[in-house]
Amino acid sequence: MPDTDLDFQDAALAAEGDSGAFERLYRRHVTRIYGLARRMAGPDDADELTQDAFVRAWQKIAQFRGEAAFGSWLYRVAISVILGHRRRLAIHRERTAPEEWNREGQPSHERSSEIGMDFETAIERLPARARHVFVLHDVEGYKHHEIGRMLKITAGTSKSQLHRARMLLRATLA
Amino acid sequence: MSDSTDTWRDRLSDYLDGALEDSERSELEEHLEGCEECRETLVELRQVVARAGSLVDAPPARDLWPGIAYRIRETEEGERRGKSFTFSVPQLAAAAVTLVALSSGIAWQIASGFSARQAEPAVSVAQAPAQTGLLLASRIASHDYESAIAQLERVLDVGRERLDTATVRKVEEKLALIDRAIDEARQALSADPSNAYLNQYLAGTMRRKLDLLRRTAALTEL
Ligand SMILES: [Zn+2]
Repeated sequence: MPDTDLDFQDAALAAEGDSGAFERLYRRHVTRIYGLARRMAGPDDADELTQDAFVRAWQKIAQFRGEAAFGSWLYRVAISVILGHRRRLAIHRERTAPEEWNREGQPSHERSSEIGMDFETAIERLPARARHVFVLHDVEGYKHHEIGRMLKITAGTSKSQLHRARMLLRATLA
Repeated sequence: MSDSTDTWRDRLSDYLDGALEDSERSELEEHLEGCEECRETLVELRQVVARAGSLVDAPPARDLWPGIAYRIRETEEGERRGKSFTFSVPQLAAAAVTLVALSSGIAWQIASGFSARQAEPAVSVAQAPAQTGLLLASRIASHDYESAIAQLERVLDVGRERLDTATVRKVEEKLALIDRAIDEARQALSADPSNAYLNQYLAGTMRRKLDLLRRTAALTEL
């Protein structure tokens, strides 16, 4: 059976309260959700956000109606959890100056120079807005109008933030 | 052309994504012919996009499922608890504090007439509410009713021989009726824990039982 069919079956069981079925969904999707969380929010918060995303998905799974693939639905849930986390953090942390590399979530042991820096690390160090748009557009394949809705920005802002992220990331290509 | 004045540079991502109008695109292509910097930038932007598209997801370093499973159970139980607490406990607690304070005070008075050992648990309960009603309220649950009832039942057992057989039988019949009502209310509540009416009914029934026991216990004193 293809994974999408297995997903539908397990999602229906999970909606009935079957946590075993939900664990199978977790196993099939955790790597992608974790990758999303790590790139969007940094490695320090990725574990917790991945867990938050799956807990939220469990709570909302009765709302999954199977119009889209379960993976796409789960992605939306995860993105809203990750962005919500970002908004909560913003209350407690000082805002990063817009033109600076983002230092949030940067592991202290990784102080590599920008040239030759690991591409993943370079993504983590992008300013938050540019990083979110870049990950959602160039890594995950969302369109600007979709990103605009998720981030509550215009499609035009999404485009300019994407360009900014790409321009900053050129420095790591050496 | 220098960086600061070259506005075409800002259009390169849109060009790459095929998001430019036809007219703008041909203008940009014309510009690229003569601008080496933009040509280089375009090559690099292409590489960035290609890298982004070929990233490989690594799984988390540790298994995150146990934490999720734990929280799923917690939220499920929390929801169940939350439902029964929302309505029932404030009502039960409010009634129970008064009742425990009153009845165990009386129980203590009665029990002290019988034996010091019987009186001990009643004394400790009876003293508490007078001084720390709030503290007691926070830990009050239906088993506090039950402990008050149990104390009164012990008092009654000890003083039973002082009552005539007819009275004992009458009291026992009444108690049996009340006990059945309590059981029924409990069963209904286990199916519908948040039902405010059932919670009040249960509290009322237990109050009746407490009251009956108290009055009967008072008779043993005569
Ligand atoms: Zn140029």
